[in-house]
Amino acid sequence: MKYEMVAGFETHIELATNTKIFCSCTTKFGGDPNTHCCPICIGLPGTLPKLNKQVIKYAIMAGLATNCEIANISKMDRKNYCYPDLPKAYQISQYDKPLCEHGYVQLSSGKKIRLTRIHIEEDAGKLIHKRGDTYVDYNRGGVPLIEIVSEPDISSVDEAKEYVERLQQIMRFIGISDCKMQEGSMRCDVNISVRPVGSDKLGTRTEIKNMNSITFIGRAMEYEFQRQVDLIESGGQVEQQTLRYDDVTNTTSSMRGKEDANDYRYFRDPDLVTISVTDEEIDDLRKLIPELPFEKAERYIDEFGMNEKDARNLSKYRRIAEFFEEASDGVKTPKTVANFIIGQIFRRLETEDDKEKFDVAITAQQLKELVMLIDNGKIRNNLAKSTLEKMLDTGKSAGDFISESDMAGMDEGMLNDLCSRAVESNPKAVADYKAGKIKALKSMVGFVMKESRGKADASLAEAKILEILG
Amino acid sequence: MVTHDDVIAIARLSKLYIPEEELDSMTKAMDDIIKFADTINNASEEGVEFDNINNLSNAFREDEVVESFDRDEILCNANDIDEGHFLVRKRV
Amino acid sequence: MESRIKHYNNMLKNREITCTELTEKYLSSIESDNKDLNAYVTVTADAAMEAAKKTDEKISRGEEISLLEGIPMTLKDNISTKGIETTCCSKILEGYKPIYNATVWETLKTQGAVLLGKTNMDEFAMGSSSETSYFGGAANPHNINHVAGGSSGGVASAVGGNIAVYGLGSDTGGSIRQPASFCGIVGLKPTYGAVSRFGLIAYASSFDQIGPITTTVEDSAIVFDAVSAYDKMDSTSQGRKGAPTVDTLKNDIKGMKIGIAREYLEGVRDEVRVCIEKACEVYKSLGAEIVYFDLPALKYALPVYYILACAEASSNLGRYDGIRYGYRTDAYKDVNEMICKTRSEGFGDEVKRRIMLGTYVLSAGYYDAYYKKAQNLRGSIVNAFKNAFKCCDVILAPTVPMTAFEKGNAISDPIETYLTDICTVPVNIAGLPGVSIPCGFGENGLPIGMQLIGNTFCESTILNAAWQYENAVGSEVFRPSQYGIKL
Repeated sequence: MKYEMVAGFETHIELATNTKIFCSCTTKFGGDPNTHCCPICIGLPGTLPKLNKQVIKYAIMAGLATNCEIANISKMDRKNYCYPDLPKAYQISQYDKPLCEHGYVQLSSGKKIRLTRIHIEEDAGKLIHKRGDTYVDYNRGGVPLIEIVSEPDISSVDEAKEYVERLQQIMRFIGISDCKMQEGSMRCDVNISVRPVGSDKLGTRTEIKNMNSITFIGRAMEYEFQRQVDLIESGGQVEQQTLRYDDVTNTTSSMRGKEDANDYRYFRDPDLVTISVTDEEIDDLRKLIPELPFEKAERYIDEFGMNEKDARNLSKYRRIAEFFEEASDGVKTPKTVANFIIGQIFRRLETEDDKEKFDVAITAQQLKELVMLIDNGKIRNNLAKSTLEKMLDTGKSAGDFISESDMAGMDEGMLNDLCSRAVESNPKAVADYKAGKIKALKSMVGFVMKESRGKADASLAEAKILEILG
Repeated sequence: MVTHDDVIAIARLSKLYIPEEELDSMTKAMDDIIKFADTINNASEEGVEFDNINNLSNAFREDEVVESFDRDEILCNANDIDEGHFLVRKRV
Repeated sequence: MESRIKHYNNMLKNREITCTELTEKYLSSIESDNKDLNAYVTVTADAAMEAAKKTDEKISRGEEISLLEGIPMTLKDNISTKGIETTCCSKILEGYKPIYNATVWETLKTQGAVLLGKTNMDEFAMGSSSETSYFGGAANPHNINHVAGGSSGGVASAVGGNIAVYGLGSDTGGSIRQPASFCGIVGLKPTYGAVSRFGLIAYASSFDQIGPITTTVEDSAIVFDAVSAYDKMDSTSQGRKGAPTVDTLKNDIKGMKIGIAREYLEGVRDEVRVCIEKACEVYKSLGAEIVYFDLPALKYALPVYYILACAEASSNLGRYDGIRYGYRTDAYKDVNEMICKTRSEGFGDEVKRRIMLGTYVLSAGYYDAYYKKAQNLRGSIVNAFKNAFKCCDVILAPTVPMTAFEKGNAISDPIETYLTDICTVPVNIAGLPGVSIPCGFGENGLPIGMQLIGNTFCESTILNAAWQYENAVGSEVFRPSQYGIKL
């Protein structure tokens, strides 16, 4: 029998606010243990939470960018469970009235992964286990999170990866999170079950907790899918449980212990008041949502005739897309701009992180000036390329490297002279050509290009030489 | 009727140990209290939705950083600390 | 009845006494009388003398001092005081010294208040006699074989015994008004949101309010005016609405409508009922009108209160795990066992019972039948009071159905004890202001109190009505105890 995967995601994303969700401590990553703490975020008796306004804004923006309905009225609830990383023994979260509901993320295939909800909550601290001792650091405690819950609409590892990538891109694009999986600012729990292809019944699911890399998500899902299929094939049954993925052995294992007798006893947090958002406020936030990467990619393909891969590469990061759009605004050949970025500039941005930051020496305007020189026939591509390298090294403009004479271009007389010399001084090439070696023509054009130091138009030169050769 | 098992389950959620010898008395006490609480279910009325006292909404804070506390202060009431962390040492 | 705060303020201003002398007097009376009263659990003599000296310097420089400057006072042990042990009278918080001040203490400290020490209470404010305190109960200054009441028993004992001029307590289901009633003094539970809760160690967050315990109504108004300000640290804070309550304190009350809800008089002792009836006569003679009505919603007030307050408490008290502060057990296998043992050894029986009840009513399968239902009935009670205030300005009711219990009687049967809160909890359920003032004495010579309840943020009205009553009968219903310093 053939089986298919049924998977849903719970994705936690740390919001890029300056301060924690309920106190004014910084959210900066790292820092010495327990140095980003105050009485509120370590839960000292008598302290009270005060909600950070920016958290509401960012969460609503996340909802708007994923096609959610935004609740005009919502509230905060307490999720009670006792664990040393949770200083109040309850997490302030949202239970039955989340800020955002009923959204979706569309994959490149056109398939929509439905989102059940997006709610806000606080992150927990960090536990370090050493030689059986437990060390607790609350720097991360109280950092604002959104939890994005999807429907079980994902049916392959590729869809899962694309879903996570798209979420990551959207959240980065709207500027509400850096979504750095390796730093834990984006973490995924995956619910996964299998069923015979064609069946519409859901199987028993397992939940793989806390995954912080797209590669591992893929491997873990592949492993878990196969484990469940094997189990069923051999007459066994999948047990509903929470799993941990071990990236060294590439296996999943049960996490029982932490979750024994989970009963979170949710109730409304009496220390916090109702959250009320008007339609006007939602509309104002909607205006802050930029064109999203996939929308941009589609437009690049339509408007500039770009191929899909280039379009995606250019639209993936907001700074790059904005740089591209500014540099290509008004130029004749946006594709040239795209090629320069994808070719020469990307070579200098090794990691995804570098691309996200997009720390380059020149401005979009400087690149645009360079491309305009090509557009106006003042310089040739080769010269532009080498000039761009110099610009990227120094941050200087094209004009600093290209002289007036470089830009003078070639009038017809000069080209005619050069072409005549190319024929006169290369009798062997002429003979070869006449003997049928087409390639010999190239060496004469090469002569013209060399003599003109790249300023000549190769196709015009070729035509001229052919004319001379009769 | 509250049973021993109920009391044990509730105690586990409450992170409390009820010693064997106190199980009877705690079960009885819980049963009495729950019976007392049960009287609300005699109320003929359904009641009305309760939001929050004074029906307040939108008490927000601006997203401005205030310097955190000195770590020495943060840790000063802890039983055990090490390397700037709160610490629970392994015991036998 | 003369305001004690004003009396001392005048003496200080007229240089009849120095603040240092006044503070010394109070400290030495604590030294001699606290053995009997067990009102204080921590005495902060050095800090008090230091604050007193500052006030004296200010006076000697000829600077103005505010009404509360240099007045020796106390705080219930659940109000956070930086660097001063704040234990909620629980073993689990033994040795805990907050690293920040509660907003109310910050406010009073800034005004030059002289803190004598922290006062006794039922453990985590759960109780009606202060006997669930880890440090033993506080005694009633009128008869030390009787309790001072609870949970703010220590403040009431200290103020009733005049080993503090005034104090701040907290009231979740009657914890200011009941001990004030037992000790023959004045206790004001403000409107929910009038006084900041920041720094008040939570019992039940949607019920808790801090308020003054004083010997006179005027003192109550003075202290309330000082601490009732909006606080950005408390999302539920609104501060006082309108002018200071002292401005209208002495207005006449001709035409004021005083309501009597029959339900409040059911099951109270005869001697208490008689006092209320007498008070009605006094009010009539002052030109007020008495109106009678029913408040059937009160029938479920007690179970509603215990379900909701315990639910919140079970969550609020989850944080005592021995990791960041407070008591930690010695022997354990792993972190989870450390937490469970710490809590089992650190909490007293009443606290455990309430945590268990709270956990039960929130747990899967019981939430709707208990928590949700109680929350809806809370809504009904809120509405019932709203309607009641359409036909009256204040509601007059007993504070407690009886006088102070003998020591040891309160904790023998928890449910019996819960029932004594019948007259005080409705005010907390509805978030209303209520003030208890002395109105007579029982056969045993112990004080009886009555309660004036107002609409939300109408502290001015109830304090006005309370002051008029006190002014009319004051010395008949107030007797100083044998303790403390004499005026």
